[in-house]
Amino acid sequence: MSIDFERLLADMLKASEKAAKGHAADLKNYLQARVHLIVQGVAQLAQDRRTGKINDSDVKFAFDQIKESEKTQLNAVAVTARAAAQDAINAALAVAAKAINKAIGIALL
Amino acid sequence: MLRAIMTNREVLRFRLAGRATAWAAVFLLVGCSAVFVAPYDETTDRLLTDLYVRTETALLQAEAGQLTDKDQQQFFDNAIGTVRTLKARSSLFAKNEDEINALAELEKRYQNLRERGGPLRSSVATGLRATLLDLQQIQISKRRSETFTIGSKKSSS
Repeated sequence: MSIDFERLLADMLKASEKAAKGHAADLKNYLQARVHLIVQGVAQLAQDRRTGKINDSDVKFAFDQIKESEKTQLNAVAVTARAAAQDAINAALAVAAKAINKAIGIALL
Repeated sequence: MLRAIMTNREVLRFRLAGRATAWAAVFLLVGCSAVFVAPYDETTDRLLTDLYVRTETALLQAEAGQLTDKDQQQFFDNAIGTVRTLKARSSLFAKNEDEINALAELEKRYQNLRERGGPLRSSVATGLRATLLDLQQIQISKRRSETFTIGSKKSSS
């Protein structure tokens, strides 16, 4: 049995897209949650300063720590992007393996 | 032009060799799988979630005035110990540099808060809470990839 390359290409692309979609949704939720956390923290920081619970040096310290945390945000985004690429490639390869097995008539791959 | 200097048998042999090479490449490619991130580790995820809970609890207690200096020092010792354990565990996995770097940053966040002294406040710990969230996202991505890998293995077998 021969392989329909046009169909295989379309199926591989579809599988890749499907695999990456979940990561894209996770990334969106995460970025929204992070922005929410920072906004809430900054508002609380302003309120704590106004009410005298913290001083200027505390505000400066907290803001520096927020800036420093951007490094770990980059780490998180990088892992999500790599995991999405990994799943997309493996999903396409799984489709290709299935097509080859079907073409040669045995479950070789 | 090529045909002019090659016999029919040579052309056939050339084509067969080309086809065999193409198939070999396809088999090789499909036989492998792409690995760009370390596998999901349930223990890391559990320890990290537990640390997140302990941190949020300590912040709530501090804001309510229920966290003594001794409790606060104990909390920091415990948190830093947990992060160091996580770092050691994460370094056992290949392709885990982002997680290891994020854990090193997390340790710095706890150390800085401890060195700052004074009572804890969640507003001042916003950077720490953000880094904890970043590490949670790393676990979520790995978990999704693991679910996908298991799913694709099942469907291809």
